[in-house]
Amino acid sequence: MNNFVIEIWDDEGNACIFYTVRWEDAQYSETDKFFIKYGDDNHKYHKEARELAYLISEVIGNRYGAIDDFIDRVKNKGHALPPKPKKSIHEIESLGVHFPLRLYCYRINNKCLILFNGGIKDERTDQQSKDISAKFYDLQSFVNRIEDALRDGILVYNGKLQRRH
Amino acid sequence: MKSKVLRDLLAKTPAESKIFVELYADIVVRVNQLIREKGYGSQKALAEKMGKKPSEISKWLSGNHNFTLRSLAKLTAELGEPVINVPKRHTFHLHSEKTVSMTVYRNEGAKATGAFRSAVSVSSPQSKSKVA
Repeated sequence: MNNFVIEIWDDEGNACIFYTVRWEDAQYSETDKFFIKYGDDNHKYHKEARELAYLISEVIGNRYGAIDDFIDRVKNKGHALPPKPKKSIHEIESLGVHFPLRLYCYRINNKCLILFNGGIKDERTDQQSKDISAKFYDLQSFVNRIEDALRDGILVYNGKLQRRH
Repeated sequence: MKSKVLRDLLAKTPAESKIFVELYADIVVRVNQLIREKGYGSQKALAEKMGKKPSEISKWLSGNHNFTLRSLAKLTAELGEPVINVPKRHTFHLHSEKTVSMTVYRNEGAKATGAFRSAVSVSSPQSKSKVA
């Protein structure tokens, strides 16, 4: 895995700051790549991508934070958005069981979430889904390196994520 | 700062989608909060507590039913507290013969703290004012 940088994706909300990762030589972050691809007017899931962007930025970022109600889809060491279907009522199922997209993330705490890339989940597992299997393995590598950096004190969280020099 | 890609995407997101996501999130948080407070343990336990047959529970859990308002009503009845609130407008006359309409909103933007907020908007033919 090449070098990547962690940078702010959205810190305007009152409840949670979002970071993302960007390969050192890349123009766009991994999360921007996800939304550029799936949020494009011509993509069949552009409506879903926009709903997901709004869920992240407004609902999690500005209102509730990264609480368990939303960060409940465990993917080995990381998580995926949107949250699991809440099957007891039909109204809130459509962003869960029928939702075709997954965006991977890693929660530092309720106020800090690192977003990665994602894709279309069209098989029973992420690993079987052609569009996201590579992103799933990237997630594990990203999280391993971030956890190492946090454990070694290279990366510290004190209200914001910062690299210790 | 916000990523430019995110900013552009949010600008293109229709109000209907934003409202749907907000309602979705509020209901998720509200239902989970009530389930925890009432000590049901899980959503399945809640469905069973509602006296459904296994086949009905299965149907309920799979979400394959059309009675969405009815399901919310059943849920509200079982949990004993409102899951959603619809604003109600009351019109009444003041001594000055003005007619005033008052819309009462409850459970607006219920936060993780569980706190309720109230907002009252008052409007009359002569003056449009809003009090929160």
